[in-house]
Amino acid sequence: MPKDFQRGFIAMLPLFPGLIAFGLLYGVLARQVGLAPWQAWAMSMIVFAGSAQFTAVGMWNGAGAFAIILTTLIVNLRHLLLGASVAPHLRGLPGWWKVILAFWMTDESYALAITEYEKGSGSHWYFLGTSLGVYFIWPIASLLGALFGTVLPDPARYGLGLVFPLTFLGLLASFIKNRTALWVALVSGGLALVGAIYLPGKWYVIIAGLLGSLLGLFLEERNSP
Amino acid sequence: MNVLLVFFGMALVTFFTRYAMIALIGHGNLPPRLLRWLHYVPPAVLAALLAPAALAPQGKLDLGLPLWAVVAGVLIAWRTRNVFWTILGGLVAFWLLKLVVGL
Repeated sequence: MPKDFQRGFIAMLPLFPGLIAFGLLYGVLARQVGLAPWQAWAMSMIVFAGSAQFTAVGMWNGAGAFAIILTTLIVNLRHLLLGASVAPHLRGLPGWWKVILAFWMTDESYALAITEYEKGSGSHWYFLGTSLGVYFIWPIASLLGALFGTVLPDPARYGLGLVFPLTFLGLLASFIKNRTALWVALVSGGLALVGAIYLPGKWYVIIAGLLGSLLGLFLEERNSP
Repeated sequence: MNVLLVFFGMALVTFFTRYAMIALIGHGNLPPRLLRWLHYVPPAVLAALLAPAALAPQGKLDLGLPLWAVVAGVLIAWRTRNVFWTILGGLVAFWLLKLVVGL
C-alpha cells in the first residue's frame, strides 16, 4: 500500500474523537425518528455526508422523499466550492480516480488534503487515505450511536464538538502566509458567523467561502497590477 | 417510503456536488486568474467552517467555554502550525476551564 495512503489515514486519526462524537449523536437522532440501527448505518455507508445526514434525519418524519433529497442537494452545494479548489491538483489523474476521490470527499478530508497539496507534499493517495479514514470510523460510530447511544455519556460534555473547529484552525494557520490571506480568513469567518446565525442550512459556507476568496483575488490584483 | 431508495437518491445528489467541479475543471490548462482565485478558497472555506462551529455551535452566538478553548487553539495553531497540537491544546484548555468554572 502506498506510503502516502498511510500518511493520509494517520493524519485523520486525531480527528477520530470528533467523528466518533458526531457519529454517535447522529445514530441517536436516527434511532429517535424511527430508523433501525442498520438503516442508520446504511445511510452513513451509502450517503456518507454528515451535515446532510443530520438534516435528513431531522426531517425524516413529515417531509417526503423528494424534499429530503432536494435538501441534501442544497446542504451539499458547498462541495462545489471544495471540488473547484482541489480540482487543479487532480489534473492528469485517470477519470476513475476523480470519481473515487469525489465520492469520498468530506469537509475534513478536503481540509487535510488541500493543506498538503498547497505545501507541495499532497497526492491522490494521501487524499484517499484521509477520506477512507473518515469512511472507516463514521459508519461504525453511527451504528454504535443507534444501538447504544442513549446509555453513553454525552460527548459534548467533554468538548469533543471542538475537534473540528480546532482542526480547521490548525490547518488554516498554514494558509496565513501574508496580509491578504489573513484578511480573507477574517472576512470569511465573520461572514460565516453572521450567515450561520441568520441563514438556513449550510449557505453560510458557500457565501462566505465565495466572497472571502474573491476578496483575496481582488486584494492580490490590486497590490500587484 | 422506501428507505434505501431515499438513501440512494441522497447519495446521487451528494456525489453530483462533489464530482461536478472536479470533472469540469480537473483537466487541461486553466486560466491563471481562475487559479489565483482558487488559491484563496481553502483559507476562506476553512475560516467559514471554523468560525460558526466555535462561536455559534447551536446556531446562536455563544461566547462560553468553547470560545476560550478556540482562543487557546489560535495561539497554539499560530505558534506550531500543527493540527494535532492544536486539537489537543484546545481540548486541554476546555477541560481546565471547565474544572475552574466547575461546570
